[in-house]
Amino acid sequence: MDFDDTPEEASFRAHVRSVLQEHASELLHVAPGEPVDARSREAELRDTQRVLAEAGLVGVPWPREYGGQGGTLVQQAIVGQELGRARVPTLINHIGIGMCGPTVIAHGSDDQRSRYLARLLRADDVWCQLFSEPGSGSDLAALRTSAVRDGEDWVVNGQKVWTTLAHVADYGILLTRTDPERPKHAGLTMFVVDMHAPGVTVRPLRQMSGGADFNEVFFDDVRIPDSERLGEPGEGWRVALTTLMNERVAIGGAGSDIGPSPESLTAHARDRLPALAPEQQVLARQAVGRALVASLAARYTGYRRFTTLSQGGLPGPEASAGKLGGTAAARLVADAGVRLLGDEAVLGATADGDDSWQRAQAYVPGIAIAGGTDQVLRNILGERVLGLPPEPRTDKSAPFSSGGRR
Amino acid sequence: MNFDLSDDQRDAAAGAREFFTGSVPLSAARAALEGDGVPAPGRKALADIGFLGITVPESAGGAGGSVLDLAVVAEQAGAVLAGPSLVTAARAAVLLEGAPDLAAQLADGSAAIAVLDGPVTGSAPSLDAADATLFLGLDGGALVVGEGEVTPGRPMDATRGLASVRMTSRRVLTEDAGELWARARQVGAVVMAAEDLGAADRAVLMGVDYAQQRQAFGRVIGSYQAVKHMLVDAWVGVDQLRSLVWWAAWAADDSPAELPLAAAAAKAYGAEVAERATETVVQVHGGIGFTWEHDAHLYWRRAKVDRLLLGDAAEHLDAVARLAVAGALG
Repeated sequence: MDFDDTPEEASFRAHVRSVLQEHASELLHVAPGEPVDARSREAELRDTQRVLAEAGLVGVPWPREYGGQGGTLVQQAIVGQELGRARVPTLINHIGIGMCGPTVIAHGSDDQRSRYLARLLRADDVWCQLFSEPGSGSDLAALRTSAVRDGEDWVVNGQKVWTTLAHVADYGILLTRTDPERPKHAGLTMFVVDMHAPGVTVRPLRQMSGGADFNEVFFDDVRIPDSERLGEPGEGWRVALTTLMNERVAIGGAGSDIGPSPESLTAHARDRLPALAPEQQVLARQAVGRALVASLAARYTGYRRFTTLSQGGLPGPEASAGKLGGTAAARLVADAGVRLLGDEAVLGATADGDDSWQRAQAYVPGIAIAGGTDQVLRNILGERVLGLPPEPRTDKSAPFSSGGRR
Repeated sequence: MNFDLSDDQRDAAAGAREFFTGSVPLSAARAALEGDGVPAPGRKALADIGFLGITVPESAGGAGGSVLDLAVVAEQAGAVLAGPSLVTAARAAVLLEGAPDLAAQLADGSAAIAVLDGPVTGSAPSLDAADATLFLGLDGGALVVGEGEVTPGRPMDATRGLASVRMTSRRVLTEDAGELWARARQVGAVVMAAEDLGAADRAVLMGVDYAQQRQAFGRVIGSYQAVKHMLVDAWVGVDQLRSLVWWAAWAADDSPAELPLAAAAAKAYGAEVAERATETVVQVHGGIGFTWEHDAHLYWRRAKVDRLLLGDAAEHLDAVARLAVAGALG
């Protein structure tokens, strides 16, 4: 057991650091916890990713023929750690890199792969994932956006929602219903959609935390050529599972913190504890201690998953526990951070204008919902890890058009 | 990074599981609670298989192993509520670093040693003191060894062998032993977290087994999300506790500067996880889980006792916060 890099990992890390240093002036840097608005900083974010891609640090585990480096998931994780350390913000195309790209690699045609993948890595095109709808969140296969065949095209009508980055995206992977007479999972088909096509309307949604990272997207008679289909008609669910499996690898994996880091809480406590009354300090230290323990428990569990990757394994369903644990820790860390503000904790920002802890607090409910709600993750763990049976379902085999009734 | 057990440690865990499963029926914990027996497997069996000397140096007749080696065995001991505790062996091995003759007697079981918490003139209820004959204590900053008068109270968890002790003879082993004492207590806290890990893990398994069989309203209760999610939360706690136990045990040998914070984190989290898991197993069983005949309360008792031994969560959470603020997280 050791927490050091292997010699190969250490030399790769050194390489990454030197690349980040060499190109520092061309990269966007932000303060820890500073929000980065994709719309207002779109150009800088795209440039940053392009520079990193040209230096070979984007899509590291992708095959070389698609613009990747043929590297490992561990190398990818190391790049992520070093970007965080250098305070380079999350890559603008993280949805494309983590989810859309792998789906195109697995299910796209040669023509789609050659047209899309290299540009995706360079952020020449930004991608989004058009899955959730107003009537289908956790129950994704209940989606209603329809695609109807018309000659060489499909005509799409419907609405997607909670679509991260749609407001800056050039392309999206779009899950549609093409056969409502088949059971819900069997009548779906996946496409690549041009977000600039006529009939696509994007409206940003403002979150309870104040920012606007995601959107609702309307499709009105949008025509998609059949050549932009991913997988066979009716195979959309299987294609979507590729995307979702990659999402699970991307979120809450290898020891990265989901919310504010334990180090940021510690620094904040060092700053703020002395200003509290002695009896408040006792309680605040309890809250800080509890939050740090939860954070460290999630972090070191992530290190075990990282070790699995490092030994060539893939994360199993137990990786869902990483997001659950990370979310629980994020909640405690944000709460302790706010409580340390003392009397100012009831305001939206402190007197000096800093609102980072208030923002972290208002972001936590979103973490517990996005990328698998806490409840869906508990079902996955209960069923696939503990072997408990699923709740009975009445809608699985009936035609979707019957509304789930047999 | 390689944050995983070695093959040798996995083999040791498998061997320990076999030993404890074969030598410690849960009926032993029950009999001890009813005043009708002693904790199993007992000191002699633990000494004979070498578990009391895992961290005792080879020169003193031990295995010269690491705290992590001991922790993987302790997890298996916790799973069956074995007694006496490997916490005592771990803590005494640290305290006896300068007394190889006594360390040898610890390892071979020829001395029944317990470590006292609180004043040596009248200790707090201390682990494995009930059947011990030789006591280690902290007396005015010095580590002392000697005999004592033992007063066990009515047990909540008889496998812990708790008793108050008034030392009747005292010999100084180490002057100015404050730091040594603190380190021994931290190592003890890590090993207790490992035993809690084993107990919590077993409690979750018991709950899952029952939830797969018991039917209500026409289907097994584990299919209901209300039951499933309780078990999952308990399991996630166990999975994360394993990470903290491994980290803290590793730190004890390989990164002593991290030990105080890691040990406090593991102990505080272990207390919480064991309590949640054992309360969950009672609840999942419903009425039968509340009966004296069912084994669930034996695990529940272990959790309710352990959470207060070697410092409660409030003490350890405070330590984590203080150490972090003082720079322990880097």
